Amino acid sequence: MEAFERNELRRFVGRELLLWVWFESELFEGTLETKAHGSFGMWLEGRLVMSQGQEATTIKGSQPGNHREAKEALLRGKLPDVAALHLSWNEQDAMFTLKAETLNIAGLKLPRKGGDKTPGDAPGAVASLVRVDGPVKRARPRKRGNTAADVAAFESDEAHEDFYERMTVTREIEGIIEALYRDFLTLRLGPTWDAVIVPALEAWSSGEEVDAEAYAKARAKALGLARSR
Amino acid sequence: MPALRGSLTYARFFVAGDVPEDFREKYMRAIRLRAMKPIEPDDEELERSGWCKVGEPFEIELRYEDVFYNEYVNLGLRTDKWRLPASILKQRLREAEAAYLEKKGRERLGRAEKTELKEVVSRKLRKQTSPATRMIDLSWSMNEGVVRFFSHAEKAGAQMMEIFTKTFGLRLVPEAPYTLAARLGLSKAQESTWEELEMILLEKEEA
Repeated sequence: MEAFERNELRRFVGRELLLWVWFESELFEGTLETKAHGSFGMWLEGRLVMSQGQEATTIKGSQPGNHREAKEALLRGKLPDVAALHLSWNEQDAMFTLKAETLNIAGLKLPRKGGDKTPGDAPGAVASLVRVDGPVKRARPRKRGNTAADVAAFESDEAHEDFYERMTVTREIEGIIEALYRDFLTLRLGPTWDAVIVPALEAWSSGEEVDAEAYAKARAKALGLARSR
Repeated sequence: MPALRGSLTYARFFVAGDVPEDFREKYMRAIRLRAMKPIEPDDEELERSGWCKVGEPFEIELRYEDVFYNEYVNLGLRTDKWRLPASILKQRLREAEAAYLEKKGRERLGRAEKTELKEVVSRKLRKQTSPATRMIDLSWSMNEGVVRFFSHAEKAGAQMMEIFTKTFGLRLVPEAPYTLAARLGLSKAQESTWEELEMILLEKEEA
């Protein structure tokens, strides 16, 4: 198979990833887990775009996946194309949009410095959630006795420190997405997909009840996890 | 699309190829060679791209500490482009053509004359205005072998890939479901299954 076919003709795998994340976040009430990270919170929040060919449906709301329209779109053959996600891990929260066919991230709102739990919350809302893993900031040098070069050097160091902190959190978030994708691939490319996942997705999209415990057991077995749910 | 502040919108590219041992010296020279040279009205090119300091499109004299942030190489990709308002260009061209014909005592212009006049008028107009400047940040995490390019625009991504390869001699592979899967590692059996994959359809036929 040519690289073009492996890549371009299989971009739908990203849409299936979003579908699976949506399904599991509903089934397990917003608590997902990966082999690498254990449990964390993840759910659809804000916007969900579903499409099939040229036809697209955009659903907005605090829980767009719960809208009747969203499941109806699935039953009309549409799959998620773009989803806004809320991620909650290690007492931090971030929000971002994931584009299925490129796996590109958009509008990633990082946890605020100083520990506000939710990006965009009022300052100081959750004092107990102050991040302790970021670099410690140095105090700005007092102007008197400092040359312009000292101040410039300090500002440059400060810009570097801000950047490292942003990248550390960004890489953590990417690490969680990659771990989810790794687990998804194990399921998607193994016998569990047809035997367990597809019937569960079909039942869920039709509004039928899915046995969360049985699903979790089969999932854990396929991923080689000790059962944690 | 800033790397240093605000929310982050970016595309990832995986770096293919090896970084040389003395990369800091080598890369600094290569970056300076391809640093942005602002476009001038008399230049033949109508668009030009080059490196600048991350977040600072007009800082093009790059110092070592502007570029290397520990294991990261941070740059801005600046593009200057002339954008002349079509209606003004048309009007000025009409005036120039009329003046030329009067001076020559003729009624019509040849194709070559028309082209030349258009170039003269455009250049004059460019001298009265400034090119549009756009900058997109880029951060290359050398330990990870990942470039984060702070835009999703396809054209800008393609331009960046080209100048990145010219500068560093390394190829970039855009992230996609398959390229990420390959990077995470697929077994032979998984590779075979991947090739046979068909998209799930949950569509229900209406009764």
